[in-house]
Amino acid sequence: MNLWRSYAKAMLTNASLWFWAVAFMVFWLAIGAFLQSSGVGSSHSAVTAYTSAWYAVIVLIALSLLAAAIAGSFAYGSASLAYAFRWSRLTPKGYLASIVGGSAVLGLVLNVVLLGATAGIFGARFSAAIVPADALGLVGVSMLGGVFFLALAATLALVAIDYLGLRSSNFVGYVPLLLSFVLGNAQTDVALPRWVIYGSPFNDLTSLLYQGYSGTTPTVELGTSSVALAWPFLLVGLLAWTCLLVATTLLLLRRIRARSIEEGRQI
Amino acid sequence: MLEVRGLEVRYPRSTRPALRGVDLRLDRAKMAVVGSNGSGKTTLIRAILGLVPLAAGSITLAGRDVGRIRGEVGLSTNLPEVYRLLALPIRDLVRVMAALKGGDPGEMDRRLDEFELAEVGDRRFHELSTGQQKLVGDLFAVCFRPALVLLDEPFDNVDFSRRRRLVRLLQDFPGDVLLNTHELDLLASFADWQLALMFEGRLLGPFEVSELDRLYLSRGAPAGALAVLETSLGTFSVTRDGGDRPVKSATSVNALVEALA
Repeated sequence: MNLWRSYAKAMLTNASLWFWAVAFMVFWLAIGAFLQSSGVGSSHSAVTAYTSAWYAVIVLIALSLLAAAIAGSFAYGSASLAYAFRWSRLTPKGYLASIVGGSAVLGLVLNVVLLGATAGIFGARFSAAIVPADALGLVGVSMLGGVFFLALAATLALVAIDYLGLRSSNFVGYVPLLLSFVLGNAQTDVALPRWVIYGSPFNDLTSLLYQGYSGTTPTVELGTSSVALAWPFLLVGLLAWTCLLVATTLLLLRRIRARSIEEGRQI
Repeated sequence: MLEVRGLEVRYPRSTRPALRGVDLRLDRAKMAVVGSNGSGKTTLIRAILGLVPLAAGSITLAGRDVGRIRGEVGLSTNLPEVYRLLALPIRDLVRVMAALKGGDPGEMDRRLDEFELAEVGDRRFHELSTGQQKLVGDLFAVCFRPALVLLDEPFDNVDFSRRRRLVRLLQDFPGDVLLNTHELDLLASFADWQLALMFEGRLLGPFEVSELDRLYLSRGAPAGALAVLETSLGTFSVTRDGGDRPVKSATSVNALVEALA
């Protein structure tokens, strides 16, 4: 059995992950559709923009929950990885390719489910067909997002395993979730400068998801006017961060230390 | 061939080294390392596996530093943490480990059948009983044709009938074996193996298991001692054909050391 298939299978059959990354997110989509939508205009463009913004933030948070789960798995598997890199055919590069493949598949599946849930829930609320404008593009972006969050979680977890100790890994596992929550919501509530959005992979991802769903270019406020965000810059920003983090993960994996999971106990 | 020279391992916040001055050579041979709980036997295996940093010394396998080996040399162990790569049912874990080790998963399936463990296939490692975990780790260790097998207390919590099967399996195993145990009465099954004694991180030997009847542990350092050891409990020596206590007289090394100290 290939390792990447094992990873994909282990993640896809993880009931806890399905609850928190899917069921819990669907619950929030319902909150957004039925309880927080009173101020949304009735025009199709307003409804689509509102739906797309919710979809983008929810996918971001779902992927960051996935990242937290992956970070925990690194802590549990540090000794087995340290062993496998020496005494089996497994290489750090091969292992990374396996989990990147598994995470891309999970990102794809999560996105398809959340895409359907978003269209269904918001469509029911506004009694309109609010379908994604570029479903294929969204599939690609969500797979890239899955890989980005995997690499971010892996980097943070491996820094804790290699240098800080497992007590820290309990906390760094939440960093992707915290950043997603802060930066994802900031984009919808605050007029973030354009350089922040281009430079932040979280905002690159939400902007690309927004554009893919709504079919309209996301904008940022500049004084009294608004400026459109260019999707190629967003994509390059997300790709650059992903490549950087994948390379960092590979370097850290090569020097992984075997840690006892008991080191992670706080009390 | 496994060669350990001047090995020292220190754990953080520990006042004394877990291993010190350990020299060991294993070339087409099988060796039982006998020692008390906490004497350093497991640390020795973890050091050979590259799972703990070395404070001093070197470990080579087939002439290569173990820190530089990347899968070219077969080494296997029954340490359970090694098999926790994924939270998979044993059946799937067998396939993953076989792929990683370049072996035939059917070999492990046959061993599981042979040890009446076929029913564990649907369960995850942590869902097995303590004895089943130990046996599955033991079988993983000897499967997929490793050149060297490291076994840490392979008989712990294993029932009598399976112990006998495991003894036969290890006797017939074609590669090198390093086996840790604190159960002296088990050694009778491995009469043609080498023997080493471990006290407080120091390794004494090699002796022969067949000469176990002639080995004694004595207080002090009498003339003609085979090995002298300074420990926190005092100075002890291993002597042949006479001394304070026959090594074999105790049920465990713990009991032997306590009796003398």
